[in-house]
Amino acid sequence: MASPVKESKEGRLSSDLVFDLYLNLLTEIWEIASALIGEAILALLFLSAIQKNGEKHPFLLSLKVSEEGIGLDKEKEEGKRLSPEEIHKAFQGVINHLTHLFSTLSEGVINKELFPKVFPRIKEAERIISSR
Amino acid sequence: MNFDTKGIIESAGINLPNLFNFSSFGVLWKEGLVLYLYQEESIPPPFTKKVVENMVKVLSTLGGEPIDVNQVNLQIEKRQSKLDPMTISPQTTLKSHLTLPLAVEGEIVGCISLNSDQPNAFDVQDLQFFSVIGYQISATLKHCQRFSSIKTIAIYDTLTNLHNRRYFEERLGAEAQKSFFSGTTLSLMMVDLDHFKKVNDTFGHPVGDKVLCHIASLLKNSVRRDDTVARYGGEEFVLILPGANLEVTSRIAERIRELVERTPFEGGQNRLNLTVSIGISNFPTHRARSKEELVKMADVALYNAKKGGRNRVCVFTGYPVE
Repeated sequence: MASPVKESKEGRLSSDLVFDLYLNLLTEIWEIASALIGEAILALLFLSAIQKNGEKHPFLLSLKVSEEGIGLDKEKEEGKRLSPEEIHKAFQGVINHLTHLFSTLSEGVINKELFPKVFPRIKEAERIISSR
Repeated sequence: MNFDTKGIIESAGINLPNLFNFSSFGVLWKEGLVLYLYQEESIPPPFTKKVVENMVKVLSTLGGEPIDVNQVNLQIEKRQSKLDPMTISPQTTLKSHLTLPLAVEGEIVGCISLNSDQPNAFDVQDLQFFSVIGYQISATLKHCQRFSSIKTIAIYDTLTNLHNRRYFEERLGAEAQKSFFSGTTLSLMMVDLDHFKKVNDTFGHPVGDKVLCHIASLLKNSVRRDDTVARYGGEEFVLILPGANLEVTSRIAERIRELVERTPFEGGQNRLNLTVSIGISNFPTHRARSKEELVKMADVALYNAKKGGRNRVCVFTGYPVE
């Protein structure tokens, strides 16, 4: 059995991994979707998804969205101090909401482009969490 | 929605069939919930109903607040069908769509939609192209809004919200040209607040400004719909009354004078009693040959009202003898 200190370090590592994985995934979603519907509309959709899920997971509100893309305010990396499960749940909420919005707008056109990228990443996040 | 906005939407509705294969194109405008639908004449009602429901759903989802589909003011523009209307089933319904929000300055003002009775009618290329069109429509709407706000700044007085002197000059030019050409009557009224300097000196400029705003609203509510009320400068106002003869104008002027005299104005702790002097000129009675002369005549009449003791209406009777 791992010592509490080691457990904490491992937890920290997993949180970092899951957080960065999802942040990269959101960046990737941004790149794909912005080529389809443009940055101005996409920024509104991202903001809507973040705000909706930010009520439950306030750390999401530290994600900065503009027409230039999505990023993380460096001074507000409190999200990385959370458990990997919570990070996973929060980001999944954002991605679910985004895909719901994409489907509302264009039925399958956007999601068909996104799903091959999104599913493997979510599986990877789940693998990191279950291997703790 | 102003005329320019409608023009932009109409232009899109006319040109889009050259770019996409669709059954209807819709623009749902959030303000006033107006939905413009440009669709083939053979489109049956169940299809239209589904399009309306879908666009309302999209706008509700994006705007984060529910919209009652029954509140939508639907305006349909029909275009000739590509297919034989007889081949279209009356049960045809919406099978696929592309819907995009219209955003101006980060705010969703509506959405646009391409709709089809065929499943999977749109692909990635359609979406990319439609989003460019959506962006262009949003950008044009943004320009329209900016232009409209610049226009407002250019023609309205910021304190009283009445038209400003620039607008008055333009409007008088147009009305005078019409009257001089057709011989129809046109009256001009100059209204000056008596002893206004005392109000400013005694109670301060904020009170003076309030008084001016109050006078402006009294004037606006005392005239007919087609009349123009403008702030000429300082405490002086000017009214253009197209089609009003001298008798009608004098009656309106007397009503304004009495109204101001009877109205208590706010002056800090006190109630102020104020009066106005009014000068009137009229075409063709006073035989003005230009708009400038009509203004000059009303000004001379106003001067006579002041000289005669204020709180009175004077009609132009001739230039003072030098």
